[in-house]
Amino acid sequence: MSVMNIIQAVHSALDSELARDPDVVVFGEDVGRFGGVFRATDGLQAKYGEDRVFDTPLSEAGIVGTAIGMAAYGMRPVPEIQFADFIYPAFDQIVNEMAKMRYRSGGRIGQPVTIRTPVGGGIRGGHYHSQSPEAYFAHTPGLKVVCPSNPYDAKGLLISAIRDDDPVLFLEPKRVYRAARGEVPDEPYTLPLGKAARVAEGEHVTVLTYGATVHEALKAAEIARGEGLALDVLDLRSLVPLDEEAILESVARTGRVVIVHEAPRNCGFGAELAARIAEKALLHLECPIERVAGFDTPFPYTLEMDYLPDAKRIVAAARRAFSY
Amino acid sequence: MPRTLQVREALNEALAEEMERDERVFVMGEEVGHYQGAYKVTRGLLERFGPRRVWDTPINEGGFAGIGIGAAMVGLRPVIEFMTFNFSLVAFDQIVNNAAKIRQMSAGRLSVPIVFRGGGGAARMLAAQHSQATEPYYAHVPGLKVVVPSTPAEYKGLLKASIRDDNPVVFIESELMYGAKGEVPDGEYVIPLGVADVKRPGTDCTVVSWGRILHTALEAAEVLAKEHGIECEVVDPRTLRPLDEQAIFASVRKTNRCVVVHEGWRYGGVGAEVVDRVQSSCFDWLDAPVERVCNVDVPQPYARELEELVLPSVERVVDAVRRASYR
Repeated sequence: MSVMNIIQAVHSALDSELARDPDVVVFGEDVGRFGGVFRATDGLQAKYGEDRVFDTPLSEAGIVGTAIGMAAYGMRPVPEIQFADFIYPAFDQIVNEMAKMRYRSGGRIGQPVTIRTPVGGGIRGGHYHSQSPEAYFAHTPGLKVVCPSNPYDAKGLLISAIRDDDPVLFLEPKRVYRAARGEVPDEPYTLPLGKAARVAEGEHVTVLTYGATVHEALKAAEIARGEGLALDVLDLRSLVPLDEEAILESVARTGRVVIVHEAPRNCGFGAELAARIAEKALLHLECPIERVAGFDTPFPYTLEMDYLPDAKRIVAAARRAFSY
Repeated sequence: MPRTLQVREALNEALAEEMERDERVFVMGEEVGHYQGAYKVTRGLLERFGPRRVWDTPINEGGFAGIGIGAAMVGLRPVIEFMTFNFSLVAFDQIVNNAAKIRQMSAGRLSVPIVFRGGGGAARMLAAQHSQATEPYYAHVPGLKVVVPSTPAEYKGLLKASIRDDNPVVFIESELMYGAKGEVPDGEYVIPLGVADVKRPGTDCTVVSWGRILHTALEAAEVLAKEHGIECEVVDPRTLRPLDEQAIFASVRKTNRCVVVHEGWRYGGVGAEVVDRVQSSCFDWLDAPVERVCNVDVPQPYARELEELVLPSVERVVDAVRRASYR
């Protein structure tokens, strides 16, 4: 066991998979010689050589296209997109090629690709370094979408993602890259994709979230507890596949739900969560489902801390739900 | 006197009238000029308005979307045709990161009055990469408007409104509807964006639907009325962003039941947003869970039989409305 932050846990996962499987390759902008803008690949090129860990030109469509071709021939590429905001030039490659290859080939050609990319705001990055694009990918059949909130999950989920035979979007919450610290085993381990974690127990209001806002939800749970309001906080960890069972189990006990994410609200992933609960658990619900999300504007540079869902907004939503 | 026009003719009239009215309007895309459009929507425009107003482009969606955004920033009003909206995904970065954000990034000093138009959705055996309903991707993007019309008259009136709008508009047509006919009013008219239309009044169950599949919902409503005595109120939002939620709420508060029917995948689709808004604002009115009837969550199959199984059908809509009505 070592105390690690998320960056170190991601690094540890990449290191262990590069060592374990010669088909695993890591590439992207500045991941090789420089070791990644967030240092997630620090020293890996020196350790595994330029054939296994290499720098690419600034061409996201090229990076993902290369990964798709490699995966079609049986390798396990782990490309990095430096910021999720840069992933859109590769959108056609991801949605039209990577997500559909298994289906279009009648199951003959798999796509064991894991695209790692930092997501979310809170680092004063402005429009082009702060976005949360999970809704686009969660909507696209054929992709898995994973978003850890802490170092232990980051390592175990990333190893599972790399070993998975289908394409995985692995979204890393950069706001807590270094702030989230915890004990992580030094040896490799896996966590199943599609299992939520209960990170706070309570019987009054279910809070569903993932990534950086898990930490805001935990702060909210502390504040609410002081008011006698017990929040049941689920860290979804993976949006596709989704742990619907855990969600419905919690909702059946509490009858009240608050959904939290950073991405804009309209057609965000929270809409799917709310719609599922409204379809499958309407009769358990004591009040309308609340969503606390980014506002429906482009990501603001100066107002980012007002834009991002915080503990205060989560508590306010929980109170509204509880007093309905 | 209203005339009977095909959708492609209604679109063509809208383009010609707006180009006539405003010399800043121009049309650009693959094969829109000499070939007059893959679906003949731009027929006659090159001859009438000349090559400075009707441009054939290389096969590079990122390139011509980007040129259009730049032209709009300096005061022109481009109408960009994607041969199919599936190809817009190559230009996704231009649309999401540039068109949608420029107004806010420039503190309102620059606007992007551009229309991206083209056919989306299933188009009969065109398989996984040419059959997608891309509207949920765009409906999630702050700064864009998203329009999905369902009748020839609305295709014309909504396209004219989109061209006159000072914001980027994603205007998604149906490849299967270019030949569909309907009455189109004579003379000048525009249909405002963000205003829903009740396509069929009813008292028992609200059905929210748009685009081509709205016609499946209307067919189902007939079956439900005749065979099951259930009178559906079919509400067509016409614009998905901004969404006329008040029209939907007004109907649900009357019927106490709601079924959303749309083309495209269910998981994280626009239907999810509609369901959430209904449960949130009509919670005390709802007598049954809100149902969604959508594409099955798989890439679009090529085989005709499978394609039909994947798309919302009259039977699936009828079943959903009956479940919601406990009948």
